[in-house]
Amino acid sequence: MIVFERRMEANALWTLSSFIMAIVAGLAASAVLIASTGANVPDVFGALLQGSVGSPKALATTLVKATPLILTGLATVIAFRAQIWSIGQEGQVFAGAMGGYLGAQLLAGLPPLLFFPGVLALGMAAGMGLGWIAAVLRNRFAVNEIISTVMLNYLVVYLLSWLLQGGPWGETGGTISYHQSPMLPDTAFLPALFGSSRLHAGVLLPFLAAAICALVMSRTPLGYEIRGLGYNPEALRHKGVDIARTVSVIMMASAALAALAGAIELFGVSHRLRADNLIGLGYAGIIVGMIGGLSR
Amino acid sequence: MSTALRVEGLTKRFAGVTANDDVDFDLRRGEIHCLFGENGAGKSTLSSCIFGFYRPDKGEILLRDQPVQIASPMDAIRHGIGMVHQHFVLVPEFTVLENIIVGTQRSGWRLNAAEARQKLRGICDGYGIDLDLDAYVWELPVGRQQWVEILKALYLDAQILILDEPTAVLTPGESKVLFDIVRKMCARGMSIILITHKLVEVMQSDRVTVLRKGRVVATLDTPATTPDELARLMVGRDVSFTVTKPELAPGETILAVEGLSARGFWGDAVLKDVSFSVAQHEILGIAGVAGNGQKELFEVLCGVRRPAAGSIRFKGEEVAGMSPRAMMDRGVGHIPDDRFREGLVPEFSVAENVVLGWQRSPKYCNGPLMDREAITGLAREMIGEYQITTRDEHVSAGKLSGGNAQKIIIAREFLHASGLVLANQPTRGLDVGVIEYVQTQLLKKRAEGFAIVLASEELSDLFSLADRIAVMFKGEIMGIVDPRKVTVAEVGVMMAGRRGDIAASKERVSA
Repeated sequence: MIVFERRMEANALWTLSSFIMAIVAGLAASAVLIASTGANVPDVFGALLQGSVGSPKALATTLVKATPLILTGLATVIAFRAQIWSIGQEGQVFAGAMGGYLGAQLLAGLPPLLFFPGVLALGMAAGMGLGWIAAVLRNRFAVNEIISTVMLNYLVVYLLSWLLQGGPWGETGGTISYHQSPMLPDTAFLPALFGSSRLHAGVLLPFLAAAICALVMSRTPLGYEIRGLGYNPEALRHKGVDIARTVSVIMMASAALAALAGAIELFGVSHRLRADNLIGLGYAGIIVGMIGGLSR
Repeated sequence: MSTALRVEGLTKRFAGVTANDDVDFDLRRGEIHCLFGENGAGKSTLSSCIFGFYRPDKGEILLRDQPVQIASPMDAIRHGIGMVHQHFVLVPEFTVLENIIVGTQRSGWRLNAAEARQKLRGICDGYGIDLDLDAYVWELPVGRQQWVEILKALYLDAQILILDEPTAVLTPGESKVLFDIVRKMCARGMSIILITHKLVEVMQSDRVTVLRKGRVVATLDTPATTPDELARLMVGRDVSFTVTKPELAPGETILAVEGLSARGFWGDAVLKDVSFSVAQHEILGIAGVAGNGQKELFEVLCGVRRPAAGSIRFKGEEVAGMSPRAMMDRGVGHIPDDRFREGLVPEFSVAENVVLGWQRSPKYCNGPLMDREAITGLAREMIGEYQITTRDEHVSAGKLSGGNAQKIIIAREFLHASGLVLANQPTRGLDVGVIEYVQTQLLKKRAEGFAIVLASEELSDLFSLADRIAVMFKGEIMGIVDPRKVTVAEVGVMMAGRRGDIAASKERVSA
């Protein structure tokens, strides 16, 4: 028997100090890079601090920027905890925005209390469709989800590109054709939380989603199955858990979270469908998830 | 005889648990010295201290009467100590030769394969070890993989060899070969520390040190002791090797299997036309050398594997091809042979494992959430009832010994089953005390009116527990015999593929 003598469980203090050390190390590395360009390091860090949390406006911007990352991070955590290596968050963000945009046309004119839940739900449904395809490929044909989700990402990204450029959703008129849709009517803008600030109501959703995810993971039978699937799928199969069904549920739930990020970006930030502001949100979510929930 | 190694007053504690308490141990040159004790008695801790995995908190290790500091396995190897682990540390994609030389090079960064090959050839010839140095490890059966580990220790010029449960993966024939070669090593002046909890093996050693709860209970000359005495020393009380089984008349038929066949991954027939039935108050034993379809039979019966043909009637209902869920809901309990892979989620706590498979049951849920209080309450109850040794119900199941892990599975399956329990190798790898306990529990269920299908590679188990024994060979049942009317040898012949005609003729004689 191989037994390495080790700390049985990482205690909270150790975990915290390792986070702090990692941040310090990151800052130190940045400092070296900044210094190498000849800039004044304290000035740069000061500006960084000022620009992110230094004023109410800066803080609001930070929250707005963090919103999609928290959601795609959660999407990653849910899938990866079950050892499902879905890399589909990127495409699902796009799908969420596209589903939301389609919803905005279909549901135009509804009162806000119906309109916003409706369009966000349609965005999530579009993402779930993508998650479902990857789940079926995995369950029925044993296609590795890393491959299927990455390929689906391309599909969705280029579909949007086509829709916007020459396709039915592109902005027409004028002399230049940008890679974007026409502006949504301002009734379709997510309302601001305080007056006319950029802080739209969508920033609350990641916090709600995180709380729900935490509860689901730690307290519900589904969370139990997700964790169990990550640890030992064979035991779960022997004890009556329908693995294929659980995989589908997980991939669709994960996709819904990522898609919500895309929909919120559309209705809260860009207010028109475009590709450039969505790029990388899904992939960054994988990093966020790894740092936040998976490194343990 | 001179002393090869001596341990004096060794104490090792882990987070408040004293794994070794003031242990004295000495190993003579050229002897096989057995470390004998239950799981958790401190055998592995002691050998890990000797091999440098652990630093003792107190005490000394002396090599040839010189105190030494063994800070790491590298130190141990430098001092001529080798260890063969219970779970091998080999790279399957490497050849035997590569596995042995990688990481063991003494100097330079280039592998000197030719020189190593020559040395290994010499060792193999000297001991009569028959092993292809260029075979990939993944190609080798588990029993032969062990030789790679042993060869590695010999290659590193070990004078002291620690063998941790070496025969757990061996067939009786292979383990005889192992002991023959180990004897040859001793004759050449090597000293062997053999860790085991099998009495048969202890009896082949020169001396034995019995450990219980981290302390040395006794060190004895093996020829001067008996298995009974050793078992008593190990457990601390008398152990009955033969459980008493009351005569019970079989009741209603619970499980009737008819013409059951199943195919393996490559479409090969793993079960061929299997038929039997089990009634209330009855234990049907399944005998057979591992890999003759027992596992597949259990998988089909519990719903994990689909049958290709045949019928399975449980309490009169046709259940062939139903899902594991459906079988569980109907009352079929299953104790799988690979407990940490199929029976438990090792990372889950004891409490979580007690409800594994029943996590959605209203009994353990409170609305959409799992009812933590109900689950921990139940787990505490089970820990008490089944004497599971654990700090509390929050400990991960994977940190428990094999016996205690098995008790979790038994507790869970007995709690949720009604009518039928399928037990595949439920006592494999367990200590004598726990084996007795598991057997008693199975007999208790039998008395309660359960039907039990019990597979075991230990024929003695089946002869003391089973009402009838079905012998399997290459996926077929060679015959179903009455253990009161056949001998172990006769069943052994059937296990090797002879039809049950001998047993049948015997039955005719007695009738």
